[in-house]
Amino acid sequence: MAGLSIRGLTKAFDQVRALDGVDLEVPDGQLVTLLGPSGCGKTTLLRSVAGITDPTEGGIWLGDRRIDGVPPERRNFGMVFQSYALFPHMSVFKNLAFGLEMRRLPRSEIRKRVAQALHLVDMEAMAGRLPRQLSGGQQQRVALARAIVIEPDVLLFDEPLSNLDAKLRDSLRDQLRALQRRLGVTSIYVTHDQVEAMALADEIVIMFSGEIVERGDPVSLYRRPIFRFTAEFLGRTNVIEARLDGDRCRLPWGDERSVENPGIDDPAGVAIRPEDIAISTANGSDPHGEIAERMFLGAGTNYVVDAGGVRVRVNVAGTQNDLIDIGTPVRLTPPKSLHLLRRGRHGSAEALA
Amino acid sequence: MSDTRRQKREGRWLAVGLYGYLALVMFVPLVVIALWAFYDPAVGWYPPDIVPTSYSVEPWREVLADRGIIGSLVLSLIISTTVTFLTGALAFPTAWALAHFPFRIKRAVEVFVLAPMIVPGIVVAVSLGEIFFRLGLTQTVLGVILVQTVGTLPLMIRILTATLEGIPGELMLAARTLGASPRRALMRIALPMAWPGFLAGGLLSFISSFEDFEKTFMVGAPGVQPLSVRLWSYLGGEILIFPTAAVVTFILLAPTLIIFFIAERLMKENVLAAGMGKL
Ligand SMILES: Nc1ncnc2c1ncn2[C@@H]1O[C@H](COP(=O)(O)OP(=O)(O)O)[C@@H](O)[C@H]1O
Ligand SMILES: [Mg+2]
Repeated sequence: MAGLSIRGLTKAFDQVRALDGVDLEVPDGQLVTLLGPSGCGKTTLLRSVAGITDPTEGGIWLGDRRIDGVPPERRNFGMVFQSYALFPHMSVFKNLAFGLEMRRLPRSEIRKRVAQALHLVDMEAMAGRLPRQLSGGQQQRVALARAIVIEPDVLLFDEPLSNLDAKLRDSLRDQLRALQRRLGVTSIYVTHDQVEAMALADEIVIMFSGEIVERGDPVSLYRRPIFRFTAEFLGRTNVIEARLDGDRCRLPWGDERSVENPGIDDPAGVAIRPEDIAISTANGSDPHGEIAERMFLGAGTNYVVDAGGVRVRVNVAGTQNDLIDIGTPVRLTPPKSLHLLRRGRHGSAEALA
Repeated sequence: MSDTRRQKREGRWLAVGLYGYLALVMFVPLVVIALWAFYDPAVGWYPPDIVPTSYSVEPWREVLADRGIIGSLVLSLIISTTVTFLTGALAFPTAWALAHFPFRIKRAVEVFVLAPMIVPGIVVAVSLGEIFFRLGLTQTVLGVILVQTVGTLPLMIRILTATLEGIPGELMLAARTLGASPRRALMRIALPMAWPGFLAGGLLSFISSFEDFEKTFMVGAPGVQPLSVRLWSYLGGEILIFPTAAVVTFILLAPTLIIFFIAERLMKENVLAAGMGKL
């Protein structure tokens, strides 16, 4: 097995450039998630890697072998489609056997490998069923088994969980991650769901409008993104225009904080995650603002606070806190040191997320 | 819940409507034909009698007395079967290409492909008869098969195109990623999935071939006489001999009915299999 390199990949359709000079490295055995809003070119990128879309420019390498131009049937890449794309006229067994039959393996070998793959996804009992006789989650697992039974060099996932309801999605996501780790297959996983991206990825790549915005491991990308777009697309965040003064900044409600990355170009504001702000009732001391909205979510409570003319989102975790009523004057305590975001040309992702 | 119930109720009314229509266009004429085929020519059947007062098998005896009719039937079956398979084989690649053309081009090509459907059969027959004569295909079984295929192709192409357009493109792409060449993906995925189209198109092709008179007569007669051509000669030339015509109609209708019966069984089994798995 080997890692995957994508260099300068461009795909122009009649009207749009779906991909515009994309460079991407997927190290051997790692899982990279492509995260971006709908229409940003994720599927086009994945299909180019699979060989079922011809890129206009650029190259793709598996290890040191150049593979763009190799037809899909000779790439040995497993792909899981958003629609699952199970063959409706074939049983589960036949669906899995298809790829092995194309490789002209002996029948006994096919039977053995299909059984193994079905075991991996816990679907042995369903071998004789037709796809339409399965639930969505079961179809998804068959699609996964069909992609891995051929022992692919690369696994490609195109939003495989997006058609399932939330609970099932969580459990399948964890199973999928465990399986990918176990098999150690180099993988690209496309999604527009940031939680999924964070949970699965060794590395997250943020895409927008056919280009890569930025990339990084989930922790550093969440905590210290470069661009406003990333901060807003990867979870929610408050981007607050603060007055900068050297390595200090003054927040609209009067507080001062230090800035951990002063002196960047074209700053959009400081990022404060809603879950990183502490909130307390003013109780006679100088208030920073007052509660404008409240949403009780069970696991926590989300507030919107009107503070110094800006609306600040604050998420309080846990169920045991006293709820604060709308209109109550409050004080806000952001972290000691704040992270500045660059505006970039992608703008805000607020409307997209 | 109530949604599915409403759908069921609507489905029932739809079924009633369709079967009512079927009764009107198939059953009523059949009864009339049956009465004519079995009336007694010695007694006659005149108004105001709604049904004949006496019955006989005289018209049948007359038609079936012709020994050649069995040979014609066999010839008809051979020709129609061949035409059906030939039509399917020729239509599939055309339909596949058509299903994947960009929309605009597709509509234009479709008009060309479907043109023979709107031109009256007799016009096609006369012009092709001339060409077939030059090619030495007149009065040959091959000639009859070819000329009938010209007639059956458009509908088959149309039906198969619609069927193939309904196959999600991702299935073919999935097959490719699993190691199938374009040709094998076509044979293993698109071809079997087009089965309902082949069934519907095949039935209509078989029937239209079995019943075709103009084209078959132009190219085949007098050397090649399948059932339709032979039976037409019983219709009486200038005046219509009604009882004989009724018998002829009956014989020509038989395969249609048999085929529709088979088709219904096949479809039902298919649907049943799917439905049972859902439980
Ligand atoms: N076959 C196609 N023809 C024309 N435009 C396409 C085609 N496929 C995708 N596009 C366009 O390319 C852009 C990227 O699409 P896609 O890769 O499907 O995005 P995503 O998967 O991120 O939602 C979109 O603007 C889409 O409309
Ligand atoms: Mg997509």
